[in-house]
Amino acid sequence: MTNQTAVLDETMEDIDSPPSPRAILSAPFEARSADLPQWFRDQQSAAWEKFGALPSPNRKDQPWRFSSVNALDLSPYNFGAPLSQTERDEVLEGSTGLDEVAGRLIFADDQLLRRDPLPQKLLAAGVILKPLERAIIEHEDLFRRHFMAQPATLGSAKFAALHEALVTSGTFVYVPKGVEVELPIEIFHWLHGENASVFPHTLLIADELAKVTVIEHFRSAHSDRAGFACGVNDLVVGRGAKLNYVCTQNWNEKALAIQINSTSVEREASALSLNVNLGGAYSRFESLSRLTGEGARSDMLAVCVADNAQEFDARTLQDHASPHTTSDLLYKNALNDRARNTFGGLIRVEPHAHFTDAYQTVRNLLLSDDAEANSMPGLEILADNVKCSHGATSGQLSENEMFYLLSRGISAPVAKQLLVSGFLNEVVDRLDHPAITGHIHELIEEKFARR
Amino acid sequence: MVKEASPLEIERNIGNFAYPETHTHDAGVGLTEKTIHYIADIKEDPDWVREFRLNAYKTFLSKPMPTHWASKDLEAIVFDNIRYYLSGGVQPKRNWEDVPDDVKRTFERLGIPEQERKFLAGVEAQFDSEAVYSNIKKAVGEQGVIFVGSREGLKDHPEIFRKWFGKVIPTGDNKFSALNSAVFSGGSFIYVPPGVKVKHPLQAYFRINAENFGQFERTLIICDEGSELTYMEGCTAPKFNTATLHSAVVELVALKGAKIQYITVQNWSSNVFNLVTKRGLAHEDAEVKWIDCNIGSRLTMKYPGVIMKGRGARGEVLSIALAGDGQHQDTGAKMVHAADGTTSNIISKSISIGEGRATYRGLVQIPKHLKNCKNNTECDALLINSTSRTDTYPAITVRGTGNSVQHEASVSQVSAEQIFYMQQRGLTKAQAMSLSVNGFVNDLVRQFPMEYSVELKRLIELEMEGSVG
Amino acid sequence: MNQLSIQDLRVSIAEQEIIRGLSLAVPKGEVHAIMGPNGSGKSTLAKVLAGHPDYKVVSGTIEMDGENIMELEPDERSRKGLFLAFQYPSEIPGVTIANFLRAAVQARLPEGEELEATEYYAKLYEKMDLLEMDRSFTSRSVNEGFSGGEKKRNEILQLAMLQPKYAVLDETDSGLDIDALKVVANGVNAMRGPNIGILVITHYQRLLDYIVPDHVHVMVQGRIVRSGGKELALELEEKGYERYEAAEVGEPALA
Repeated sequence: MTNQTAVLDETMEDIDSPPSPRAILSAPFEARSADLPQWFRDQQSAAWEKFGALPSPNRKDQPWRFSSVNALDLSPYNFGAPLSQTERDEVLEGSTGLDEVAGRLIFADDQLLRRDPLPQKLLAAGVILKPLERAIIEHEDLFRRHFMAQPATLGSAKFAALHEALVTSGTFVYVPKGVEVELPIEIFHWLHGENASVFPHTLLIADELAKVTVIEHFRSAHSDRAGFACGVNDLVVGRGAKLNYVCTQNWNEKALAIQINSTSVEREASALSLNVNLGGAYSRFESLSRLTGEGARSDMLAVCVADNAQEFDARTLQDHASPHTTSDLLYKNALNDRARNTFGGLIRVEPHAHFTDAYQTVRNLLLSDDAEANSMPGLEILADNVKCSHGATSGQLSENEMFYLLSRGISAPVAKQLLVSGFLNEVVDRLDHPAITGHIHELIEEKFARR
Repeated sequence: MVKEASPLEIERNIGNFAYPETHTHDAGVGLTEKTIHYIADIKEDPDWVREFRLNAYKTFLSKPMPTHWASKDLEAIVFDNIRYYLSGGVQPKRNWEDVPDDVKRTFERLGIPEQERKFLAGVEAQFDSEAVYSNIKKAVGEQGVIFVGSREGLKDHPEIFRKWFGKVIPTGDNKFSALNSAVFSGGSFIYVPPGVKVKHPLQAYFRINAENFGQFERTLIICDEGSELTYMEGCTAPKFNTATLHSAVVELVALKGAKIQYITVQNWSSNVFNLVTKRGLAHEDAEVKWIDCNIGSRLTMKYPGVIMKGRGARGEVLSIALAGDGQHQDTGAKMVHAADGTTSNIISKSISIGEGRATYRGLVQIPKHLKNCKNNTECDALLINSTSRTDTYPAITVRGTGNSVQHEASVSQVSAEQIFYMQQRGLTKAQAMSLSVNGFVNDLVRQFPMEYSVELKRLIELEMEGSVG
Repeated sequence: MNQLSIQDLRVSIAEQEIIRGLSLAVPKGEVHAIMGPNGSGKSTLAKVLAGHPDYKVVSGTIEMDGENIMELEPDERSRKGLFLAFQYPSEIPGVTIANFLRAAVQARLPEGEELEATEYYAKLYEKMDLLEMDRSFTSRSVNEGFSGGEKKRNEILQLAMLQPKYAVLDETDSGLDIDALKVVANGVNAMRGPNIGILVITHYQRLLDYIVPDHVHVMVQGRIVRSGGKELALELEEKGYERYEAAEVGEPALA
């Protein structure tokens, strides 16, 4: 744990003559990870082979049913050129999130721009927050044990392989036994260059009885530049630990985004995730929560505001691998214009995972005649003494509620916005963290304001 | 609480018998173009039907098995070992007296109540692939109702038959509808004239009576404007060692304001693959209602559907599935809304016992620019043993601001405290279990005709006896 | 021998001993009451008598009219004439009271004998009138959505219909207002007679104002620590259980 005070990382050295960016599909991946240890490069090499060998997604396969798989052409995307000093400053200036954080990392086109280290007290307690590429070397054991340890089973195995082959940066968080990190850890990932691609990775381990909150912001520096994001997170919640994970996905509306999150929740631990889906042309979010120990609990929350021709594609798995576990999923989608949303969720109760409580609720609010909602809430129950239910509804704003607001002199657009906010807030407010929920409300308001 | 044990085979034994086979026509095993011609020759098909069969055969060959989403167990079907046509060569009979004695005995063994036999005047009973007994109830005939076998239907009423045949379920809908279209024989053709309300339910019994023999009946029912019909289909089969395939196609057409209710109690023996395509077309203000009970078979894949084509049309599927050891009941419903103000309702209840597996698959589609369409779906699953399994896989697509859907599913089990409570009142564990299970399905069973609900309750009791120690 | 007799009963659940050497006899024709504070093992005793599978009998015997019933299944005990009115009766969705009771009555008939429906309903309605129950009650699912009072009435209705030799009433007064309590007590009193022994379990004296017992037993920490006449109930109401509890902690084996 050296060099904790460095604000700027070594990867930030200026490069004089920026070469033209290389296409991700043609580039030899070795060149990208030249500084990483050989064993990891071998692993990446194997992943690249796997990426090539795996078939492309097909709508006939259940995990891609209703998805616009033709949006998944990766040929236009490149690795992005190094940012100039001016560009860095602009990105850093735009990186406004929470006022108070425990630590912060800011990346653009997979380049680390800035790192606000943890306070001395947390460092002394053994908390680690550092770039992933350093963790590969400095915490090899932990890294090897947890990095992409859960296979991507919700459809994106091919993209997980691509990520593994091309990932070079990201965030490593370790919270030791019994340590509580009060303020959130904040991570920014920006898409910057034209057709740039990023492969964000967050590997988080909360040890026994630890407590931590992480918020990730996904943003685009330019609203008119296409880009590709292919992220993977490994979130490990140890015995009795508590994790809050928040993702605000606010790429621009030209971005293609695939995010694959795996959470494993051990005995008596609890994990809450809240995904705020606002950006992207096609944005897919796969969330897997595996409850591996008795008494484990997982809350999976998401809201989505979709405009224009945006498409959101959420695939989830609540995997109960141990008895006496609980999971509760609540996803709400507000769909405007020609937007499409697909939800494919599964509650799986494995054999012997008796006394499981599992719930899954999806609510779609259709705000225009061309909006489309597809729901596939699934159950696979292989144990007994379980309480499981799912519900999916699709409907409109209540005419009575609208009328009530209009009768108080509120204009129709404002009334509509109020009701949609109310609809979404039920989800957002399940996170007991006013600073973060406040920030999310602002992001949602901003999206409304863009209409 | 509950000890593991394999369910009794009692209810299977009801159908577990066979009489000497005396088939004058036998297409042999396996399926080639020659088989198709053989069937078409014997049935004296008109050219268009022969052509239809041959095209369907090509489609069947070109379609892959749906194993990428369905059970891999389908791979156990060896199409080359199946007999695609058998016939006793007996012409349809009009009178009960003419029915061969061994067939009558079969009815007896199946436990068809005396009272129902009275209705046999209006029953189309199919043994093997040919209707050996067919008598149109006088009153029904007088009302102008046509109730014949599919073969007579296409021969004697081509103007109605051809208009609707294959229109609700196209040949290429799935691999098994294509197979049926290639080799179909038997099944019913019913036409109810405008305004006629058929009082008594029309019934059909099916039975498979030869090893390796698949049954491919084809039923087409057309209810003209404002008419009403209830059709009941029950089946049981002898038990054989090798897999048997049942692959029917049933098409219903309800014209403006008509109402069709189609009831099935399926109790094939546990070696049967029951892969059935059933769909109804509901015109303006018409109603198609499927009541579907799946008790038997090794693997059933059946998703009755309704296409609501006219304004105000209604579709409904009420289904009960009981999956015991070695059984997979893969059932569900399809609701396609294609006009304003259409409503659909799906209620599905399944019970998994021992190592049984019950799966619900649903499809609900409300395309854009439709208004005031509604769907309600409820699926409830009950698990009896710790080795039982249940899955739910609905897919719901809704567009636009004028429509609403609601889907709810739950999984529960009979609690140990509940069983203890009932035992304290003197009921055995098995009685307590069967009472609980009957309670679970009760509100649905109440909507069934009396004789079916009684039969169903009896079947559930028999299943339960084997499931508790 | 005409009695329900419990000898030196020891019961444990999950390694913990709940009943610790309890002996008691309830002869036919008598009403006995067991009173005790919460956690004294009263409800455990009730469930063990009925044969609940969760409890492990370590030692002792339970005999009904001289026959050991320890090895019998719960339903066999019931058909031999033991009835338990539950403190928390289970809900059985979809099964109507009429069908449920009919199945229970049928279970007591010899093999091959069918219940006579008209007789059954005549008897059912008579008992319901006694308990001031509306006829529509029979078509409701057993205990589903019932109020506390309705559940308890339903228990007593079943008691009246099944006419057991011995009845154990576990906290039958809990959740009842005074009117409902009177109705339930009337139902029980109507059952009293030389052919039934009744064991009332309660931690409240007020039930015993309406169902007056012949004998009262005090149960503390898994044993009977004192037995007496009906006046003992009043004494307990006045002075509480503290002195018995204190005695138990210091000096075991009083009874």
